[in-house]
Amino acid sequence: MNEQRPEPVLDSFEERSRVLFNDSVDSLDFAVRSRLTQARHAAIEAAAAKRRPWFSRVGVLAPAGMTAAAVLGAVLWLGSPLGQHAATVAEGQPNLEDLEIVASSDEGGDAMDMLQDDIEFYDWADKAANSGPATAS
Amino acid sequence: MPGFGTLNSAWMVWDGPAPAPEDEVLEYPRELEKFLAEIERRAFRMAQVALRDPDDALDVVQDAMLKLARNYAARPSAEWRPLFYRILENGIRDLQRRRSVRKRFMTWLPGPKEDPEGEAQDPLDNVADSAPAIPEALMQGQAMEQLEQSLRNLPARQREAFMLRNFEGLDVAETATAMGCSEGSVKTHYSRAVHTLRDQLGEVW
Repeated sequence: MNEQRPEPVLDSFEERSRVLFNDSVDSLDFAVRSRLTQARHAAIEAAAAKRRPWFSRVGVLAPAGMTAAAVLGAVLWLGSPLGQHAATVAEGQPNLEDLEIVASSDEGGDAMDMLQDDIEFYDWADKAANSGPATAS
Repeated sequence: MPGFGTLNSAWMVWDGPAPAPEDEVLEYPRELEKFLAEIERRAFRMAQVALRDPDDALDVVQDAMLKLARNYAARPSAEWRPLFYRILENGIRDLQRRRSVRKRFMTWLPGPKEDPEGEAQDPLDNVADSAPAIPEALMQGQAMEQLEQSLRNLPARQREAFMLRNFEGLDVAETATAMGCSEGSVKTHYSRAVHTLRDQLGEVW
């Protein structure tokens, strides 16, 4: 690009300034040149990525998206009440809801009341069963 | 579910940008890379003259490259040069402004005053070395150092005009685009810069 540009008319001072600057550019050390090359490659990659058709970017991102969805699904499953219930039942430990049902008066409470009302009958039935064949009294 | 024929016809009514042909996609960054490879060292030196610190200069050049590639790569390649230098000069100005604010802030803090950017100047820096029999390369290096020092002492707009016109060889219109000002302003800034520099360095050179 530079070689095609018309050279402006410079006086001796301007000409000397330009020559000195060009010499300083030519004498840049290797480390600086290397870093400039890396910066250029990064810029080119950025331009190429932006220029790429959107569907090719989707193609690259699809596997990553599917993996993320799978991980999210697993986390939601293990964190949900359903997941916790399944794990509890498998371990055979009492569930809090089950304990509440057992302790409620509608279920276990009524059974205990019935036992206290006919205590003499249940005592006789127990002795009769353990003493063998029933005899006529 | 639509078949491939339906999808193809859907492209016909798609009002967004059509995907570029593969050849164009590949050719595009190649031309940009050629352009950047041509200017990167000169841009670095210009940034270094303005900022002194080579790491800062590299950062500013890298940032300018990225911004040009991301935002202006689709523009005609003839516009890249002034656009790139406009981004670069903006980056340099921004960094200098932040340095200035930081320096002001540091003066408010108690404790020993230090110059974090090494901006303090040794008065001897501006004294011409008149020792005879100096090798040519060393003389060249010293002359460039003196030029850089004088450029740093110029007002920012004059320095920009001089470097873009003289070092980079931009014409007046391109320099005006790069500096974001009129062509008349470019001529004024450049003329004043040359006049000042010649006064300062004429005897030394």
